[in-house]
Amino acid sequence: MGSIADSTVQALTLLFGGDPDLWEIIGISFKVSLTAIALATPLAVGIAFLLAFGRFPGRRLLITVFNTLLSFPAVVVGLTFYILLSRQGPLGDWQLLFTQPAMVMGQMALALPILVAMGHSSLQATDRRAWETARTLGAGRLRSMLTLMREARFGLFAALLAGFGRIIAEVGASMMLGGNILHYTRNIPTAIALETSKGEFAQGIALGLVLLVMAFALNGLLQIVQGKGRPVA
Amino acid sequence: MSQIKFRNVDKSFNRRRILEGVDISLTAGRCQLLCGRNGAGKSTLLRILAGMERPDHAEVTVDGTLGRWRRARKRLLAECIYLHQQPYLFEGSVRYNLDYPLHGSRAARESRIREGLEWSGLAGIAEQPVHQLSGGERQRVALVRAWLRGPRFMLLDEPTANMDAACRQRTVELLGELKRQGVGLMVATHDPLSFSGLAECTLTLSDGSLSDTGPDSGELPEKVTPIGRRAGGKP
Repeated sequence: MGSIADSTVQALTLLFGGDPDLWEIIGISFKVSLTAIALATPLAVGIAFLLAFGRFPGRRLLITVFNTLLSFPAVVVGLTFYILLSRQGPLGDWQLLFTQPAMVMGQMALALPILVAMGHSSLQATDRRAWETARTLGAGRLRSMLTLMREARFGLFAALLAGFGRIIAEVGASMMLGGNILHYTRNIPTAIALETSKGEFAQGIALGLVLLVMAFALNGLLQIVQGKGRPVA
Repeated sequence: MSQIKFRNVDKSFNRRRILEGVDISLTAGRCQLLCGRNGAGKSTLLRILAGMERPDHAEVTVDGTLGRWRRARKRLLAECIYLHQQPYLFEGSVRYNLDYPLHGSRAARESRIREGLEWSGLAGIAEQPVHQLSGGERQRVALVRAWLRGPRFMLLDEPTANMDAACRQRTVELLGELKRQGVGLMVATHDPLSFSGLAECTLTLSDGSLSDTGPDSGELPEKVTPIGRRAGGKP
């Protein structure tokens, strides 16, 4: 019990004392995950629009596929990209394995199904009249799409936060694709796993606290944003 | 006179024929009422006229030029505006909604918005969020928003439904002003008497066909004689 208390005190000291190694790990985590979510979001919104308003063969199958991918284990995503990016894999020439771009790819693959599934639901739930009104008021297709996104912004924002929450805390894909290299690909979850395996709990607890605070902040933000949303007939 | 003519408009949903060989015209500065039972196809016809619904078949002549639907649709979307029975207002303030169809500099848009607010008597609620508006106010905001876009034709689906007498009167007055400005109006309604001073003719849609029940008659005929149906009809 005493050692847990000691470790927690050490963790807080590391965190608030500005320990450079610890903050570097936090920085790498946010850099990789924010890049992944920024790249995945436009693609996901496009797919979500297509699924919500497009009429094409295989649409229902595609919706089922994305819903299934929601529960795809991170470690399997990691394994898939590991095989693709490994030297003898089809993308081996890119030499991306154990790099931050590889981690970004893995995290994009993890975030995409959440963004698509939740984005599709919120766009589908928008009033059909919103699109028609935008069009009849002279808006082109692109502006009408942006108008619809504005109307569905609370649901889309929730999708964004859920997607980010998923990838910032995942360990499987980051470990396999990044390789947990200090000062380069070591992020919060992989550092926690490593430090715990070494019996060094202080840094693990400090990083865990960062994740907890972030999860709390994201959920708080979501509550605030959704509280502001109200249905407009 | 500026005119859009539709000939032989057909439309089916799930093998149920909604419109069959309908001939209809939109004329600038003219108000026509469209009557018919619930489910007769009034909204579908208005949506086709506005370019928002693709008909199974139609010949559209815009200002004397006959065009394919794809081409005509662009003109219809550009020149007609369709108002839902319950108009959709984008989340935000009245001002945000009025700004939506406008282009140009901020100052020019602001001037147009002021003009619209004064025209409609809505100046007092410009900053109000739309979810706080009454049904009548929502309808008027939608009407002004449509007016600000400057359409040649306005297609209104039950614009006075569920309104009290004062709101109805104000809406009819605004429509009268639009007509005087040269906007062609097509109003789908169950209450033709409310528009009796405004409309030049009353069309009745029944069993997929359209009949002209005469100027300002305001009556729904027992039996309608289809006009504009193609010789031989369509299968």
